[in-house]
Amino acid sequence: MTSTDYILLLVTAALVAYSAFRNGARTKKALRIALKQFLNVLPFFIAVFAMIGLFEVLLAPDQIQGWLGSGQGLLAPIYAAVFGGLATGPPAAVFPLGQYLLAQHASVAAVGTLLIAWVAVGTITLPAEIRFFGARFALSRWALALVLSVVLGVVMGWVL
Amino acid sequence: MGTVKKLAKWSKANWLVWAVAVAYIVVAVTRPSSAGKGALLGLQTFGELAATLVTVFVIVGLFQVWVSEEFVMKHLGESSGLKGLAIGAGLGTVIHGPLVGVFPLLKALLTKGARTGVVVAIVSTWAIKLPMIPLELRLFGWKFTLLREGLLFLSAFIMAPLMELILGNDWGTRFRGSIEQE
Repeated sequence: MTSTDYILLLVTAALVAYSAFRNGARTKKALRIALKQFLNVLPFFIAVFAMIGLFEVLLAPDQIQGWLGSGQGLLAPIYAAVFGGLATGPPAAVFPLGQYLLAQHASVAAVGTLLIAWVAVGTITLPAEIRFFGARFALSRWALALVLSVVLGVVMGWVL
Repeated sequence: MGTVKKLAKWSKANWLVWAVAVAYIVVAVTRPSSAGKGALLGLQTFGELAATLVTVFVIVGLFQVWVSEEFVMKHLGESSGLKGLAIGAGLGTVIHGPLVGVFPLLKALLTKGARTGVVVAIVSTWAIKLPMIPLELRLFGWKFTLLREGLLFLSAFIMAPLMELILGNDWGTRFRGSIEQE
């Protein structure tokens, strides 16, 4: 756990304490809602994280390298969006790859797209998003984010 | 029969559990070391997130009992305009942890009458990771970093109206007051 987690836990505990002080019955109801919802989605969450682990192993950053080097031209941002959108992991994992690709003369548009798609598209969380908000919302947002990551990447390549 | 029906209903909501189990079996057969490593990584991610998940659900509970629908509707509802989107974009920027952990809270916002665009704005700017900016600055320089983060922030104001256009204005209403059953 990071210090942010401890701060969050502390703040939450303080909120619960304040809520209990204001109104005990309401607080009990709040905690019941919390527990019920948590238990409800727990199996699903475990599956999501198991899937994230699998994707991190099978689609490691170094496997993306070959697709995004120089010489891919206009297609590079599109490959970047697909890989960035499919892959998963903390942003810290993709930053070094982006820097390496730039050093290998990949285009700024491709690297920009990769870094944006990595965080903004979220293919891996799509099943969870569908469960919470329905397929229409999740798939529309996913498709828009995918297109937008290419557009923004190209804008970055054009500006820089 | 009762148990079978129950399991069928559970499986419908949690189909992903079965899908992932099958995926793991396939990977375990073809690339045994990858399956183990993946499971470990997943467990690690889940462990890192456990505290956040607990806080998110407690906050969802508190939110349900304390925050009034009038309040949410006024600041984040249909008539909240650009201000609502800006609040959403700001919220997304400071939100911590993986997006899946925040979905319950976003749904709670919808049940209290927040408009579709606000939720989309939060999801869009969630991609901005404030603690990561120093690393990005060091690796890519300030021009690249500022441009990328700026565009990400801006994307909330592109995504939100587009999503509202696609889904229609009344999409969010189906969630009103529905959280108890979830």
